[in-house]
Amino acid sequence: MPTKTRPVEKFAKATAQCSVEAAAYGKCVVADYNAVHKDMCAKEFMRLKDCFLVR
Amino acid sequence: MITLHTFRASLPRRCFTASASIRTYASQTPGNPMLEVFNRKAKHLQKDRAARNVEESRKVDYLKDEVALRLCERLLDIKRDFPNVLDLGANSCNIARALTTPNLDMAAPEGTLTPPLAERISKLTCVDTSRALLHRDKDLPFNQEINIHREVIPDLESLPYQPNTFDAVLSSLSIHWINDLPALLNQVNTMLKPDCPFIAAMFGGDTLFELRGSLQLADLERRGGVSPHVSPLADVRDVGSLLNRAGFKMLTVDVEDIVVEFPDTFALMQDLQSMGENNAIMHREAGPLSRDVLLANEAIYRTMHKDEDAPGIPATFRMIYMIGWKDDKNQPQPLERGSGELNLKDLLGGGDFHKS
Repeated sequence: MPTKTRPVEKFAKATAQCSVEAAAYGKCVVADYNAVHKDMCAKEFMRLKDCFLVR
Repeated sequence: MITLHTFRASLPRRCFTASASIRTYASQTPGNPMLEVFNRKAKHLQKDRAARNVEESRKVDYLKDEVALRLCERLLDIKRDFPNVLDLGANSCNIARALTTPNLDMAAPEGTLTPPLAERISKLTCVDTSRALLHRDKDLPFNQEINIHREVIPDLESLPYQPNTFDAVLSSLSIHWINDLPALLNQVNTMLKPDCPFIAAMFGGDTLFELRGSLQLADLERRGGVSPHVSPLADVRDVGSLLNRAGFKMLTVDVEDIVVEFPDTFALMQDLQSMGENNAIMHREAGPLSRDVLLANEAIYRTMHKDEDAPGIPATFRMIYMIGWKDDKNQPQPLERGSGELNLKDLLGGGDFHKS
């Protein structure tokens, strides 16, 4: 089955197309990485996920 | 809400029941109590599964082949023949492949051909727990150039060999999955003939620190807690004392970082899986990582570790190389402390640190 792409490859491709949203989320978490808590960057993450889902 | 008063009133009754004040001898733990860190069965399955996809498994041998080569370079310094050698945790016999590589000696003058190390080895026994991985490359040409025996054993932690059997024990990227490293090193020391070396390479402490850190942050931010996704590893500082404890002499321990660039974290994790090096810690979470955490991890890893103009993300593998010799009475011994007659400072021409 050489033509079949693994799900993770599709996943990687879709993520690569959302680099702006990913960078925003990454910056938000890393800005204060000594005090990360749940949903600290929920807003940024939802933007990233929305972008990822439409790809 | 319980007030302090009511709590205090109930305290005496709770604490001094008759049976709780008697402590009796229950039972002794049998043998040496051992902490199980890694799930051996899971590790075995992971290795088997990875090796069954031959093509993919060969593709990700770059790290193991490189480390096997570097390990075998250390053998060049020992000018003797090795009739009987054991490769402990052989994976796909990467060491055998390195031993049959000619011109391994980088220090040799350019243009001179050095024979492969295999010529000095009469018999190489490769043992591992995974049949699929061990026998993966048994039809490749390098097998003809060395007298190689493959043995599948049920458990790397109890080796079925007689004392004083081997002239050298080699091990490349395997013993970081051992639960009871001190016991294993003891066994290796017993199996070796006197004045024979044990040479090993293993993943150490800071291996994959980028992935470990970013997964923790992703886990924290998405799910509010941390679960171990990268297995713990031995530290460089521990290795010396471990070898010492097992009775090895004339120790050499050194560290080398290999940084590999990957296009993204998914490729990194996929390669780790194809190597059979995925997480095998006890009580790890069942099932794969959630998509949310994977997505968050990719973003955090990139932000923290990717260089602006680099095309990919770096992943650090820290290799610990160790050499220990089995004790023998004719071995050179270190001189007594304080018996030195030369000042090293004069010898090396060094000065104080602040005067450069």
